[in-house]
Amino acid sequence: MYSRNITMNYLQNIKHKADRANVSRLRFWIQLFTFLLIVYGGYFFIHIGSQVPTFACPYNQGSPGTCYLIAMQHGLHLTWSELVSYRGLAFFTGFLTFIGFFIVFNKAWCGFICPLGTLQDWITKLRYKIGIRFSRYDSASFQKLKKIKYVILVLLIAIPLGMSNSFFGLAPINHDMQSPFCQVCPGRTILPLASADTSQIFIDFTNKTTLVMSTLGILITALFFVGAFAKKRFFCFFCPMSALQFLFSRIGILRLTKNGSNCTRCGNCNRVCDVGIIGIAEDITSKYIVKDDCMMCFKCVEACPEDNCLDVRVFNAKIFSSTQEGFFKRYIQPNELSLKNEKNDER
Amino acid sequence: MKKMMKDNQQTDRFQRVVKAASIHYDMEIGKTMAAITDDFPDNPAAMKYFYEKHRNLIRNDSNGKLPSKKTIATLCIHVPVELILAVGAIPVRSCAGAFTTEQLGAEFLPAKSCPMVKSTLGAISYNLLHGKVQPDLIINPATCDQKKKLGEINEEISEKFYLLEMPSTKDSEESREYWLQTVFKLIRKLESVTGNKLTAKSLKRAIQEVAHAQRLYRKFNHIRTSAPVILGKDALLVTNAFFFDDLESWSFHLNLLNEELENRMKTGFRVVNERAPRILLTGSPSVFPNMKMPLLVEELGGFIVSEEFCSSSRMLWDTVAVDEWHLYDMIPALADRYLKPSTCPNFSPNTDRIRKLLSAIEEYKIDGVVCQTFTGCQLYDMETRIIAKAMEQAGIQTLFVETDYSPEDIGQLTTRVEAFLHSLKHNRKKQLI
Repeated sequence: MYSRNITMNYLQNIKHKADRANVSRLRFWIQLFTFLLIVYGGYFFIHIGSQVPTFACPYNQGSPGTCYLIAMQHGLHLTWSELVSYRGLAFFTGFLTFIGFFIVFNKAWCGFICPLGTLQDWITKLRYKIGIRFSRYDSASFQKLKKIKYVILVLLIAIPLGMSNSFFGLAPINHDMQSPFCQVCPGRTILPLASADTSQIFIDFTNKTTLVMSTLGILITALFFVGAFAKKRFFCFFCPMSALQFLFSRIGILRLTKNGSNCTRCGNCNRVCDVGIIGIAEDITSKYIVKDDCMMCFKCVEACPEDNCLDVRVFNAKIFSSTQEGFFKRYIQPNELSLKNEKNDER
Repeated sequence: MKKMMKDNQQTDRFQRVVKAASIHYDMEIGKTMAAITDDFPDNPAAMKYFYEKHRNLIRNDSNGKLPSKKTIATLCIHVPVELILAVGAIPVRSCAGAFTTEQLGAEFLPAKSCPMVKSTLGAISYNLLHGKVQPDLIINPATCDQKKKLGEINEEISEKFYLLEMPSTKDSEESREYWLQTVFKLIRKLESVTGNKLTAKSLKRAIQEVAHAQRLYRKFNHIRTSAPVILGKDALLVTNAFFFDDLESWSFHLNLLNEELENRMKTGFRVVNERAPRILLTGSPSVFPNMKMPLLVEELGGFIVSEEFCSSSRMLWDTVAVDEWHLYDMIPALADRYLKPSTCPNFSPNTDRIRKLLSAIEEYKIDGVVCQTFTGCQLYDMETRIIAKAMEQAGIQTLFVETDYSPEDIGQLTTRVEAFLHSLKHNRKKQLI
């Protein structure tokens, strides 16, 4: 019993320290590390499989694995009869592998690991240094825009199936549409650049389909950079990986929860949110607060000035909570204050 | 010639009124201060600073303001003080609590107006604000109907008034956008009045300084809610000093007080019996020297753990969170802080107030709620019904009182408060058995 008390105290001390931590700074270093890992890991004989729930782009020589979107597009290149055969089972086991990877970090794959996300964050940092303002969507257009990623996700599943099958008696889709999302994904064009490989930046004049798709790819790449400069995490609103992940985010081990009764709806969480989620501030009833654009960067938890209002949990154990103390420690920079603590006037 | 004579008479009358009112006001302060300091033992030593501040409330040069700076009066919690500090001016919250100035204000306003509005207008009209300061600008947020019209009534001072437009709801994106535009307009006004430009550096510093004060206030709140080491009447003076005190010296002295109270916590020193009923005050705000209700509750053996007043917690609790320390992000962050978390009843719906009360009741282990409404304060009066319903559902005993600044109803209130506290104690005993 006594030793158990000591352990509990010890854990509480660690938790207390963690609540005061600057997670954003930690996140910066984790992102740097995972960026190097996902972009150059392959050169160090690291291989993490072909169901990685983030943009580990195989077009990049140094990638240590394969993004699950490409595996899924390939895996669904099946006729209906194949889908219910052993080949379908292969797709299914691949999918389970993806889930297995995913549930460990939940949507923190976006906030901490995704190399495209990291790139956007760096572009944001650059913009902040220069002092150019960011833009925000107004809430009406935001509600519309966030649906695009689901449309892309559906297309990404439907097009490969449409290549092997005939929908509504129409002719199967042209094979030039293979891996349709990869053809327009900015990851394919940008990440190989890290290995000094510019071969993905091209426009394919073979036929109309390749011309359209490769042109779209280049345009989206350009938009990626321009957008990221104007708007924090611009591309993430359209990312089908984010959509796919969100469908399963409830079973994630890493969780973000909210205790609505402690919430004053001050909106601090919404203010600092890179993807501008309003629900995090306005929703006072849901316990499980991960919304579909959330990337689990936990900036909201840092910005929340109420004790135990927002919590990061592993299973049900809190590992990082919003606290008043933590808030002030992170937000007050002592060198900004002209505090004269030695000042001693008893007027 | 006739006009000149009239003017002379006016000023003559004005001078006489100011002189007489100053004496009365000072006496009123003296009386309240005597009740606060002399009727209770165990006042913290660090409270001396706050007592002195209030004792010298309307005596000139008592507040140590630098005369070279512009003074800007604010009439509600919705005025971003950070902006005023950032343009190098002194913010003075000028909502008044004196019966003396209420009587002066009655000359301008309908009889059924709220005493705070009357008192405030009286104090402004007759130069009886804190430290007899004469503000260069009076920022008047369009919150309740009575405050809204304040600037139009006395022509002699109306040019100093600046109406800060407010949305009547805070939940919609449209209201948020409208409020942000209002804040931008206010910045331009402040810049033109002070002649200083708002810079990212000055605003960041102001935000940080206010945040530092808030950090100390929250610590103070944590201390007083976790152990009865300071009475509510003292706590109210601390927050009331924030109205007019220099921010830096307020923070400094609050820090001293916190240290003393922490010491009391460690040594087990208590100002009231641990069994004293724990009271939460809410409703129309008690502003010094109108300490009628808080004093009554504590003189009769209650312990005020916390207040949900715009003169205390609502003014100081909520914080500014900035993501990028440039003006383009700081200003909207500031605007949000003064709109979104506010539980002022001028917003509809105002469910956040009920939620805040309920969470305070649970967190601070409140035994009973005292909800005061000033005669003529319609919004609080209307919300009384909503609160009554919520408190009934939560099973919390609540005392609703309607009162004003006059000392006439003390006798009747004493009986009611006494009965209320008695029934709280009784209920608690029943629970224990």
